[in-house]
Amino acid sequence: MLTIDIDRRVGSFHLQPQFDAGNELVVLFGPSGCGKSLTLQAVAGLLRPDRGRIELPGGVVAFDSAARIDLPPQRRSVGYVVQELALFPHMTARQNIEFGLAGWPARRRRDRVAYLVSLLGLEQLEERRPRQMSGGQQQRVALARALAAEPSLLLLDEPFSALEAPLRTMLRREVAALRRRLDLTALFVTHDLGEAYALGDHIVIYDDGCVLQHGPKDDVFRRPRSRRVAELVEVRNIIAGEVVAYAEGVAVVRTPWFTARVADAQAPVSGNVYLCIRPEHIIIVREDRDSRDPGNTVIDTEIIEEVAMGNTHRLFMRAAAPDAGVGEPLIFEVDVPAHPYEVLGIASKREWRIALTAEHVSLVPRE
Amino acid sequence: MAAPGRMSARIGLGWLFAPPALLFVAFLGVPVGALVWRAAAGGELGDNITSSLVLDSLRLSAITSTVTLAVAVMIGTPLAYLLARRDFPGKVFVDLLLDLPIVLPPTVAGVALLVALGRRGVVGERLDSAGINIAFTTTAVVLAQLFVSAPFYIRTVKAGFESVEPVYEGVASTLGASPLRTFLRVTLPLAWPSLVAGAILCWARALSELGATLIFAGNLQGSTRTMPLAIISAFESGKSIDVPIALSVILVAAAALLLLLLRVLARGAAMRV
Repeated sequence: MLTIDIDRRVGSFHLQPQFDAGNELVVLFGPSGCGKSLTLQAVAGLLRPDRGRIELPGGVVAFDSAARIDLPPQRRSVGYVVQELALFPHMTARQNIEFGLAGWPARRRRDRVAYLVSLLGLEQLEERRPRQMSGGQQQRVALARALAAEPSLLLLDEPFSALEAPLRTMLRREVAALRRRLDLTALFVTHDLGEAYALGDHIVIYDDGCVLQHGPKDDVFRRPRSRRVAELVEVRNIIAGEVVAYAEGVAVVRTPWFTARVADAQAPVSGNVYLCIRPEHIIIVREDRDSRDPGNTVIDTEIIEEVAMGNTHRLFMRAAAPDAGVGEPLIFEVDVPAHPYEVLGIASKREWRIALTAEHVSLVPRE
Repeated sequence: MAAPGRMSARIGLGWLFAPPALLFVAFLGVPVGALVWRAAAGGELGDNITSSLVLDSLRLSAITSTVTLAVAVMIGTPLAYLLARRDFPGKVFVDLLLDLPIVLPPTVAGVALLVALGRRGVVGERLDSAGINIAFTTTAVVLAQLFVSAPFYIRTVKAGFESVEPVYEGVASTLGASPLRTFLRVTLPLAWPSLVAGAILCWARALSELGATLIFAGNLQGSTRTMPLAIISAFESGKSIDVPIALSVILVAAAALLLLLLRVLARGAAMRV
């Protein structure tokens, strides 16, 4: 179990992350400059927290201010791939990989390097220097080097940010597979939501030095616990409302435009709330069918703008004005995959009814 | 280093800027050429070079400048590293102190050394009562050279260490390398071109040292008369201009060789990285 609970001031910035994770791929996600990389440095032993505790997988306490423990980086057994990779430019791929095996007997060292070379597909590259390799090859050498001394924890700081999209996708899959195969805890820093979603088992949402929420990926994406988290994971539709009734796990929430049923077990059961709905969770109701499920909330809308994003279309749909009349219009952002978009003929018709299902709406408190 | 390439050739200005450029090349080239020509035409270059005045000063210069370089590397490398990587109280002051010998006239350095380490000097007086005398010895020559030339080494090497991203050292330490191993296997090789450049600058400066040596070490053949001093002495004796010419040609050849070596080593280092 990896446990991080630290506190460190760097100038006016206050880093105070708190989370734990098991043997899984943990994605640290948040905007640039929110403290994700500093957290990795603290775990690696390159940044000393002012206070707190870091326990590495396997039960080794790397840092504990109360017990006056602060292991140097050399004794933490942590593999660290930094954003700029920092392959030693004056060494070959082999020498880079071997660097962390200085104390090993020659034979074991040779076997280990041979294993890593085949694991990461680096055959024929062993005698090359970093500048003679492509970005993806350098990436693999950096991974092999970090894994060489059998670390208990792997730290990856936006390792693919300099690569082209197809290569990134491939390396992401490789890293995820590698981690499973080695049964290793890994912390992966990214500010790319798509990458966070594609990779993570467990996701940790950072903002301004703090961890706002962490848990299994789908929980965090579908059930943000605060407005800020909802914004960071691009929920897009965040609507102010009020809980007017609650029974058996289903809240009834009233907004000026509609009243929705929400089945969110962890939701607030009364008071002011925000409804959070992801753009891909809003249903476009076909004309020839009624939305028969009585649990669904159906709203009349009009498409006022749309953006084609390759395999999906994002529609901006304005809800019909409520009787009472409010100042600001309510505009839903709805993602429709290319195929239904064509089948439904959305391009030629502007007025549609949309449906919100009770399971796909979550609630966060509103002050 | 990238060649300027075709694009700048298309932009022009060549004809406009060539005349002043050529003028200055001639200004540097003609005296050096004249020196070599006179040395060769005199026909007595061989005799002059083997005279005891020349040989003694040549040997003394070679020994003192090499010892100076060795000392500068041994004490200057750690200092350069600390200046590049650590913050410590008085760092600004140390930085300033290192620049002083570079901008000061070397004669001032000579006077300062004499005031400190001369027989009546602040420190020298105590050394003298302990039976140690430094001024006007070969040791004084080395100290005078060290004073004016080591800052060149330290400056250059400090910049070299600064250009090595600390992230390399961080990664090395997570890979289990001790601080000393990280320094020797990572930092030092990456800063190597700067160490070579600094060493050559330092050696060249030590070799040409005159003012500080004259004041602090004197001008005694065999023990403190280095080549630049020998040139002055030969002039002042007024006998012949052939001896100064022979000495000068040797220094020009040594300097040219050093510069060539610098180029070759710098390119070699760049190729390795």
